[in-house]
Amino acid sequence: MAEAATGVVRVEKVRGRSALTRCFARYPFKLIAPSKVGPAACDAVWLYALTYGGGIVSGDTVSCTVSVGDGCTAAITTQASTKVYKAVGSKCSQQLLEARVGEEAMLAVIPDPITCFSAARYHQKQVFQVSSNSNLVLVDWFTSGRYENGEKWDFSFYKSVNHIFLGDQPLFIDSVLLEQGSNCSIGKQMQEYNVIAMVVLLGPKLKHIQEQMQDEVRKLMSGQLRPPTSGGSLYTMRTQRAQHPQMPPLVASCSPFGRTGTGMVARVAAVSTELVYSFLRHNLAALQPFLGASPYAAS
Amino acid sequence: MESDNPVSKKSRLVHSVDCTMEEAPCTPVGVNQSLQWAQWQILDSILPTGGFAHSYGLEAAMQSRMVNNQEDLRSFVIQVLENTGSLLLPFVYCASKSPDAAAWVKLDQLLEATLTNEVSRKASTSQGSALLRVAASVFTEIEALQDLRRTFLGSKSVSFHHAPIFGLICGLVGFDSETVQRAYMFVTMRDVFSAATRLNLIGPLAASVLQHQVAPDAERMMQKWRDRDVAEASQTAPLLDALQGCHAYMFSRLFCS
Repeated sequence: MAEAATGVVRVEKVRGRSALTRCFARYPFKLIAPSKVGPAACDAVWLYALTYGGGIVSGDTVSCTVSVGDGCTAAITTQASTKVYKAVGSKCSQQLLEARVGEEAMLAVIPDPITCFSAARYHQKQVFQVSSNSNLVLVDWFTSGRYENGEKWDFSFYKSVNHIFLGDQPLFIDSVLLEQGSNCSIGKQMQEYNVIAMVVLLGPKLKHIQEQMQDEVRKLMSGQLRPPTSGGSLYTMRTQRAQHPQMPPLVASCSPFGRTGTGMVARVAAVSTELVYSFLRHNLAALQPFLGASPYAAS
Repeated sequence: MESDNPVSKKSRLVHSVDCTMEEAPCTPVGVNQSLQWAQWQILDSILPTGGFAHSYGLEAAMQSRMVNNQEDLRSFVIQVLENTGSLLLPFVYCASKSPDAAAWVKLDQLLEATLTNEVSRKASTSQGSALLRVAASVFTEIEALQDLRRTFLGSKSVSFHHAPIFGLICGLVGFDSETVQRAYMFVTMRDVFSAATRLNLIGPLAASVLQHQVAPDAERMMQKWRDRDVAEASQTAPLLDALQGCHAYMFSRLFCS
């Protein structure tokens, strides 16, 4: 990202409050910093990241560097899902984010999902540099495409990389790759599911939200999982074949990460975008005191 | 194998000066034989590495009704193998290529950060440490293994993840890097089929038939993902990942993962 970033954001303490001291964006990227997202008493900077045309065309790269200074709070979101349009040749659409989260600072990256259109190629890389007491909320999610129109898992290439480093130590290294033409087509592997989401919660301020979410997810899922009747013998299989047993409409699981367990990641798969919105709304509502507004409240 | 001969002849011609140097390690009778015995032992399911305590997410996939029959099992196995190839083969490959302690520690720490799913992370460390313990006891002639075990036993900085340990051990035993990678795909496939039979999803004979049918796919995936650097490691089965994470939520379960 050394060559000219399309966006630069710096949040620093000015007279004791989190303030946007640098906000630069150039085509095709745009940043809007409304000042009235939350009540004035709440110390958080909100940023909306937009692209012209509501999406990223083939060959375009949107790159952004964000620095959240010590003790500051910032939230980055979008207005609607980010569309990735059909690829021209083998050109990818790219989004890159490099963020530094200072001591006792909080960064919430809470966008709407990525929607890759038919034949789209998309690559995203987000790298976070944190301290041992930084706080990070990261939501990274994507849909099967315009699935209401029958365009399901029809894109050519999707890769999303999320790295979190504590100093020079890798803390969380995640890379999801979906490519058409593998042994098992994306559509077949995803079955009825249309949305894949990941939520990362890291840092001391988010401890109780992590615990809440883990409890919620455990409760939600344990009721959905049960051994197949009669141990799944071939005989019962044959009688059941007529009606294929239903999978849960939303699958979620939480895992702690990091040597000291300061981080937690939730992985979600769901049949519809609305289910994930309500999952996020419900589980991230407790961020309201930090951010001044609940994530995804309006979606 | 046929293509190997012309190459080695050619290199001998080119480096004619080194000829005497090269002749010496050129398979004295016996090395190949003992390597085969070692290879088979490492791949044998009787080696007590605890692989059979794990279902690679199959049990959770069955309890969520994703895998209900043999056809589902085939596509499940293929997804697990694809994910193994894309995510873990780079670690196997890099560890086998430079089987030394410093490189291994780096790989182990990187994999600890990469396996973000607690269920598969624990499965990986328990199988890796068991494999190292067994290998260090069995292959007493390989001093590097004893040293490694002595140096890092009880160390907090390493977790003994399975893929790098497997690559390291096979590298030290003398597997070539292609065989190591194929072997890793094989043991993964072997363990999933074993879990499937014990979950009563498929009979032992049908499992063997299916294993043979899936082998060409496994080979294709191995060829596709082999010899990659760990920087390229990616997971390709996000749905399975979310499902496997549910393993701990199941009220009754047979396997550890």
